[in-house]
Amino acid sequence: MSSAPEALLTALQFGDGQFPGGGFAFSWGLESLVADGRLARAGFPAFVGGQLQHRWAGFDRILAAHAHAAASDLPRLHALDDLADALMTVDSARVGSRRAGRALLGTHVRLGTPGAAAFRGGVAAGQAHGHLPIVQGVVLAGVGLDRAAALAVSAYTMAQALCTAAIRLGLIGHLDAQRTLADLRPGMARLAAQDSPGLDAISTFVPVSDIAMLRHADQAQRLFSN
Amino acid sequence: MRTNGHGAARVGIGGPVGSGKTALLERLIPLLRGRGIDLAVITNDLVTHEDAERLRRARLLEPERILAVEAGACPHTVIREDPTLNMEAADSLDRIFPDLDLILIESGGDNLASTFSLDLVDYWLFVIDVAGGDDIPRKRGPGVIQSDLLVINKIDLHPYVGVDLQRMRAEAAAVRNGRPVLCTNCRADEGIAAVADALCDAVLYRGA
Repeated sequence: MSSAPEALLTALQFGDGQFPGGGFAFSWGLESLVADGRLARAGFPAFVGGQLQHRWAGFDRILAAHAHAAASDLPRLHALDDLADALMTVDSARVGSRRAGRALLGTHVRLGTPGAAAFRGGVAAGQAHGHLPIVQGVVLAGVGLDRAAALAVSAYTMAQALCTAAIRLGLIGHLDAQRTLADLRPGMARLAAQDSPGLDAISTFVPVSDIAMLRHADQAQRLFSN
Repeated sequence: MRTNGHGAARVGIGGPVGSGKTALLERLIPLLRGRGIDLAVITNDLVTHEDAERLRRARLLEPERILAVEAGACPHTVIREDPTLNMEAADSLDRIFPDLDLILIESGGDNLASTFSLDLVDYWLFVIDVAGGDDIPRKRGPGVIQSDLLVINKIDLHPYVGVDLQRMRAEAAAVRNGRPVLCTNCRADEGIAAVADALCDAVLYRGA
């Protein structure tokens, strides 16, 4: 990346909620929680904070960081992707991660992002699943973002997707969303800048949204994929 | 023969809720299959998989040729600003059925402003109906104006809803600068062959 403004513009483009990666169709349990009345407007910032701390930071962040470092090492990427698949015990989360990852990967293949076509070749050949954090690591390295910027984009896209889903579900207003993102920004920045833990440190524990995702899979009336 | 050079031709079917998109599909599918066209369908229901289930129940196609894509409450987005999930679904159909000629992508019911991404489809049609009012063409919605083919459905109802069908059709042709407008009554299988002809001519180079 030749300049700080160019890096910023790159992060803005690929972190933009309008970037066509299919993320708008996933609620990661939010839709069921809202339908069941288990999450109120006032509790939404804490919900997103919990997702960042107990799902993204301990799981997606570590896998995305390792994928970013191994962006041109296909066997390593396949192993990381397989690990992600094995560790996602909630079926709709695993399927959602695959669908969202493959959608994002498909866009980057069409855009010609370095590394995207090679990884998609592995997915098409059944050597990889195409999980979202692995794809994020590959493509954000491919567009030239350094690790911290790539992780910041990964965190922001997750938080932003939850905010827009909450708006569409009628849980929060558009200003609530911006306040939530602003409040979470220091924490996202700190986590993105930290040294990447080893794979043994991977953990995730968000039972409220995990159970909500399990229940969502059986709902006939739903707006979101999970 | 395909126009996009990488798999089956992709045709979008959009239009307001209740205009008859699924009914049109139910009539088009057997007609196109009868012409030897190998096809599959993707539906974008807003809240359920109702349209996909309706097509599966009708047994017009093998169930594995009918995919449903959730729209996340954004029926516009999933066919225009961010059609990646539809593109992934279409890509997967191309992989599973290498000889596929045509993929029909049915939008979730929307309003007159919906349009398809030109990166998603090779051709798209927009379905309105006379019961929605004969002022729809005059409202000049992007769907009415920009679609490759405008279909006015439920023409049998025009005497009962006070619609001057000839005027509605003339106004539709006028706002579309003469681009094609076809009339159908899907329940009676009326006008469907002309829609199939237009579609085949446009993307399959295979006429009636």
